Amino acid sequence: SRLAEGTPRRSIHLSNIVEQRVFKEDEVISTPKRGRPSKKTIQDSDEDYSPKKSVQKTPTRPRRSSTTTKPAATPSKGIATTTAAPMTPSQKMKKIRAGELSPSMQQRTDRPAKDASKSELQLAREQLHVSVVPKSLPCREREFENIYAFLEGKIQDQCGGCMYVSGVPGTGKTATVTGVIRTLQRMANQNELPTFEFLEINGMRLTEPRQAYVQIYKQLTGKTVSWEQAHSLLEKRFTTPAPRRVTTVLLVDELDILCNRRQDVVYNLLDWPTKSAAKLVVVTIANTMDLPERLLMGKVTSRLGLTRLTYQPYSHKQLQEIVTARLGGSEAFKGEAVQLVARKVAAVSGDARRALDICRRATEIADTALVKCVTMLHVQQALAEMIASAKVQAIKNCSRLEQIFLQAVAAEVTRTGVEETTFMGVYLQVETIAAFMGVTTPPPGRALRVCAKLGAERLIISEHSRNDLFQKILLNVSADDIHYALRVGDVAN
Amino acid sequence: MPEADQDLAKTRRFLKERLQRDYTTLRGYAEERSNVRQLLQRTAEMGESNSLLLIGPRGSGKTTLINAVLTDLLANKSFVDNTLIVHLDGNLHTDDRVALKSITVQMQLENAADGRVFGSFAENLAFLLQCLKAGGKQSKSVVFILEEFDLFCAHHNQTLLYNLFDVSQSAQAPICVLGVTCRLDVIELLEKRVKSRFSHRQVFLFPSSERFEEYVALCRELLSLPSGSALQEAVKRIGGLQKIRSEALCFARNHFDPNEYSFSPRVRETWNKHVAKVLASQQAQRTLQTLYDFDISEAFLKGYLFRLVAQLRSQSPYITAEKMAALGSQFEGDDKIELLCGLSVLELCLIIAIKHHSEIYDRDPFNFEIIFARFSKFAKVSTTMQGVERSIVLKAFEHLRIGELIMPLSGGAGGGVGKVQKEFEMHKLALTYGQIQQAVQRYQALPTEVAQWAQSSLI
Repeated sequence: SRLAEGTPRRSIHLSNIVEQRVFKEDEVISTPKRGRPSKKTIQDSDEDYSPKKSVQKTPTRPRRSSTTTKPAATPSKGIATTTAAPMTPSQKMKKIRAGELSPSMQQRTDRPAKDASKSELQLAREQLHVSVVPKSLPCREREFENIYAFLEGKIQDQCGGCMYVSGVPGTGKTATVTGVIRTLQRMANQNELPTFEFLEINGMRLTEPRQAYVQIYKQLTGKTVSWEQAHSLLEKRFTTPAPRRVTTVLLVDELDILCNRRQDVVYNLLDWPTKSAAKLVVVTIANTMDLPERLLMGKVTSRLGLTRLTYQPYSHKQLQEIVTARLGGSEAFKGEAVQLVARKVAAVSGDARRALDICRRATEIADTALVKCVTMLHVQQALAEMIASAKVQAIKNCSRLEQIFLQAVAAEVTRTGVEETTFMGVYLQVETIAAFMGVTTPPPGRALRVCAKLGAERLIISEHSRNDLFQKILLNVSADDIHYALRVGDVAN
Repeated sequence: MPEADQDLAKTRRFLKERLQRDYTTLRGYAEERSNVRQLLQRTAEMGESNSLLLIGPRGSGKTTLINAVLTDLLANKSFVDNTLIVHLDGNLHTDDRVALKSITVQMQLENAADGRVFGSFAENLAFLLQCLKAGGKQSKSVVFILEEFDLFCAHHNQTLLYNLFDVSQSAQAPICVLGVTCRLDVIELLEKRVKSRFSHRQVFLFPSSERFEEYVALCRELLSLPSGSALQEAVKRIGGLQKIRSEALCFARNHFDPNEYSFSPRVRETWNKHVAKVLASQQAQRTLQTLYDFDISEAFLKGYLFRLVAQLRSQSPYITAEKMAALGSQFEGDDKIELLCGLSVLELCLIIAIKHHSEIYDRDPFNFEIIFARFSKFAKVSTTMQGVERSIVLKAFEHLRIGELIMPLSGGAGGGVGKVQKEFEMHKLALTYGQIQQAVQRYQALPTEVAQWAQSSLI
């Protein structure tokens, strides 16, 4: 029972693997509008008020201050000329909070390798990386249609609404939703659809639920403020009617993390769409299908509505299709190798990430074997590495006393018939087995050390050694595993 | 000082330093090593993002493997220039807040200045994620090394792990997450979404000195002096590390430096011949066999050898099988019996009374009154224990308790249920009968009466 505790009760998931690598920069999907060259086009679309008036009305709005008032402001600050004089860290921090300093990573000194120099296996490996999201996800056409129709309808009608998307991790939820948004953004750019704004937050990227306000506000303006302030500003924005307000689409990933006891954050996020002034469409993503009924309060569930979509885990056919689609026309994989991966993964979880990772590992194994094509054998080895458990191997590689101790725990379980044993009973068994095998019996102190070592590896579950002879010991491997590991070893010797 | 003494001092110092501070030499594990090496190399050169878990029992050389791989790679300039290494430890970085600050400092992000990080926890996280997102194939690879990985799983919501793994699965800056842990079932600790993002590459490190001969060979290698060419090779390998000393690689500082030592061939030869002869002897083999039966890890052997080497004196300049056996029996000894032999006769009498009580009532708990009654029965008829006052006996009883030879039932001080008077608090005995028996046998100058009473509870 203690083993299962690793997975918490809320269990939900998916990612934001949507990236500029496949989609070009101008297809800006999300947030960082600040400092982007393509800012101009979006800027007009996400104003609350008509742009011309607001310049005078709210001169403190950060976006404007960066674009229109900056030339005037910089000389007055004197030292803070952005390019020249070095800033003190706190000045820098101020700039970061105002969104005027874009975060950056250190750059490489040499250029990364060219594609032409790579072998077919290497190219296949790159194509198989989970981060390379294809433009259209295979096997998710129906879900794509569904979300597309929902969002397009909401944008066309200029009203607000909610949707709840669920499914186990790795089934393509976030990838389809962002794919839909990207298609819609492209259409909006071609004036086939009213323009709209896109915001996204991820529950797991927040340190606490209330930071959601901060992140949303930051994506609107680029400014970092406290959550109270962000909350009231958002409240003002969504509840007061404004002419020429454009529709806002908000994607909330990992919804379950945003649920706290008071549920004020989820309530607010789902309550704003009901306001006629807001024109807010919220798409929420989580793992469990019954999350709204299980975790959320009645009023929140009611606001979430019944527009729901469930993602089924991939079947082996679908997984196979996904992998072959990634490989394109490449000959790097044998057909049956892909099928083996697909069948094994579909039987366990139906997680596309898992299938891709296993394929990638198989290419590495083929690479070290110096062959050009991945065959069944390589895939089998990769599967053994990534799915197999190492408990039997761990028992085989224990020292003699550790093995005797494990045997003793198993013997004590058989003797008492209860799963939980105490150290004292086990020690008596150790004495017996050691005498039988002709090994000197270790004193209890050393047996406790053996016990602690096995406990650290989690072959057994033991209490703190402070309890000395009275600590309780549970066997964490099955008695059959012990028997198998030790007997098979004996035969080999 | 005679020359022989100097040689001995040098040898001892060399062996000690090699046992303690040689952080980068890994023996065996060729396959695992090349696996990790290739992974890191691909991360650095091709900008691939990866994740890996290194799992093995304590003392099996997990950290040494990483250090060895990094030492290999750091000799290569393109690796040094294109990678940042971030070390995190589950014992030090006890929550995401601390870990995040440390990441910010080690990555030298813009909101860090001289080891001070500005902004709140939420801001730090947002900033780090923005930085990683802003990066791409052109940015430097980051290698995150998470030691005691299982402790990171205990953090609230596993935010840090989720974000690191998420970055490794999306087209952002290339990172490699390297978890190191001794728990075999660590994957079960991950939340479902974190588990899905983890690539499920696991490298298991089990001590390969499975056979006793290899263990003896390892022991010989750890004790013998290397040849001049082997020393030169080690110097060359470590040399790269010394150059990048400023890079805050924790193991590069204060590393074992073979450059400081050179041995004349004569000294080396006699020493090595001697070591080989001793290790071939029956007695030494038997000692090593008991060590090997107990724990096959290299760390344990090193602990033993360090004490062995530390005993080298100019009066007895060589390792002998007798020394090994003497030290081995120290390792096998039972500390609790030593503790029992250090008790006063009165305390030992109490222990014997407790033993009688436990034997009769099959390990039922006891309190002071029960034991005192049993002791008084003995004391009345004994010649040495007459006239011992109750308060003295109570003091002895308390002495046993703080020595944790007896333990209160509830575990808490003062008893769990309400406040029980200390004479009436129930206890259990934390010794086996065998230990008590041995202590009675080994006790110096135990009155015969007590020894006889220990044999049987009848008076």
